[in-house]
Amino acid sequence: MPSWLYTVVVFAKISIRRYFRDRVAIFFTVLFPLIFLVVFGSFSKNGSVSFHIGLINQSDSSFAQKFVRNTKGSNMFKIDDTVTTLAQAKAKMSRSEIDAALVLPPGFGDVRNGQPTGQAVIYYDENSAQAAQTLESVIKGEFEGINASLVKAPAPFSVVSKSTNTQGLSKLDYTVSGLIGFSIIGLGIFGPVNYFPLMKRQGVLRRLHITPLRVWQFFVSSVLSNAVIGLFSIAVMIAVASSPLFHFKIVGNYLELAVFIMFGILTIFGIGLAIGGWAKNENQAAPLANIVVFPMLFLSGTFFPRYAMPEWLQHVTAFLPLTPIIDGIRMIATEGKHLTDIGPQLGLTAIWAVIIYAIAFRVFRWE
Amino acid sequence: MSQAIVQVKDLHKSYGDREVVKGISFDVKQGETFGILGPNGAGKTTTLEMIETLRPIDKGTVTVNGINVAADPQKIRYLIGVQTQSTAFMDKVKLTELLEQQAAAYGEKIDPLKLLKDVNLESQASSYVENLSGGQKQRFSIAAALVHQPKVFFLDEPTTGLDPQARRRLWELIRMVKKQGTTVILTTHYMEEAEMLCDRVAIMDEGAIVALDTPENLVRQLLKRGFKKERKVEQADLEDVFIDLTGKELRG
Repeated sequence: MPSWLYTVVVFAKISIRRYFRDRVAIFFTVLFPLIFLVVFGSFSKNGSVSFHIGLINQSDSSFAQKFVRNTKGSNMFKIDDTVTTLAQAKAKMSRSEIDAALVLPPGFGDVRNGQPTGQAVIYYDENSAQAAQTLESVIKGEFEGINASLVKAPAPFSVVSKSTNTQGLSKLDYTVSGLIGFSIIGLGIFGPVNYFPLMKRQGVLRRLHITPLRVWQFFVSSVLSNAVIGLFSIAVMIAVASSPLFHFKIVGNYLELAVFIMFGILTIFGIGLAIGGWAKNENQAAPLANIVVFPMLFLSGTFFPRYAMPEWLQHVTAFLPLTPIIDGIRMIATEGKHLTDIGPQLGLTAIWAVIIYAIAFRVFRWE
Repeated sequence: MSQAIVQVKDLHKSYGDREVVKGISFDVKQGETFGILGPNGAGKTTTLEMIETLRPIDKGTVTVNGINVAADPQKIRYLIGVQTQSTAFMDKVKLTELLEQQAAAYGEKIDPLKLLKDVNLESQASSYVENLSGGQKQRFSIAAALVHQPKVFFLDEPTTGLDPQARRRLWELIRMVKKQGTTVILTTHYMEEAEMLCDRVAIMDEGAIVALDTPENLVRQLLKRGFKKERKVEQADLEDVFIDLTGKELRG
């Protein structure tokens, strides 16, 4: 082993060991993203439920009872069982806790002329007109089905939907790749931004400065240990996401995913190196880190998928350093793409890596 | 007379308008222990830092073993060892690992246990620095500074804040380092420390060297000028009493 490599390996090895002795660091890098996974994952797990409604049945006909049962079984709506009166429904609507209320008035489903008849009423407030429309069309569809079975007339037009049999992306896929991005930021930026100024204050870096250790050796060993620690914490997160709790599935190649994640860690960690390496103390590092991190945290697709943004914002945020990393991770992990398919993501990440490390080398100071 | 290993010529340093080192010159001979004394702000630390490659030299030249510090700092770093603050070690890292890492910075592989034995810390091999006592920390930082067997060893106020026993242990250690042929350069506030350890001392004040000689010669010159101490010199002082009562053994 050449002596420069020995130097790098020893430094990396010792900081990795140190990490596994540091419970606080493990908490923030492993447990913290897991908490986010549990929170965001449970939101996206019920991905098919789009609206919450109140269902108020004021009729005692058997048809109405049956109708309520069927509607509750539908996965289009989540029915809030605590709503039993229109007043309650209105109060909940005003707080946006439910989107609309479906009322079956007294006498709904009573048999007249040998057939059950009735008119259901949908209440909504101005904030949730869209929910009401959807609710109305679903209920209409349900009624049409019932009507057809009662009237028994052949329908001249009909429509059926057929699955294309391709695996689309679920919300969870976006959540998990976003949280991997969050993990990379936490470890790669908030880590060094905290401990570099601390190492300067304690004189750790000054001691190293007196030795022949080169800045690049120090950087390479830091990147190496960060990549190992990052892969470990991301592996834990993927393992939990893949558990029966969340049913996240990686369809891509694990090795390609690991390689790409390491590349992402390298790039983002450079930002932490630049800020932590430049800052003389914590007071300088923290505000700058926040300015750099927050746009990425909210606009790169960590917590909120980018497809939900207005188009102009999508165009702008596409160029943030973290965006191609999160996109690339998702494309490999859940779309089964190969490294050769994600050229644009690799290219943009590489450009950022060059820019970031050029800055990091220039601004680094030992004391 | 032995050869000069460190040569300082007309060394200058300013911070803004304030000149803190005003053209000082001195030689340190191979194998001697050289002390730099002076009140706070005299420029001792700045002078050391320029020799140690940590601070750019404004004017003047410094050579170590014939190599110009400003021209080739990387070569100088292999030749010198610097005892740093005891906090300058990462927490949650074992002493053996810290020494392994320190040696790796020079691209060297060492036996950490042997080095720890030299400074009497072999029983603490698996401890972390944060769990050592003040004296142990100082001894450890000396071991760390000597992993690559430097020719010149710098100590900046090595015994400040230590109790008398720990100081004496440290003095013994510094004498041992000198005995192995290493040149030692130290700064201190304690005159008796300088008298005990140093072959020659330079006294600095306001960025200039005001005296440079052996401690004995400096005292003799002062007496020649007619100086008289007001109090009668006793054959022992309070520190001797303290050491006699509490023992010379290392505590903690």
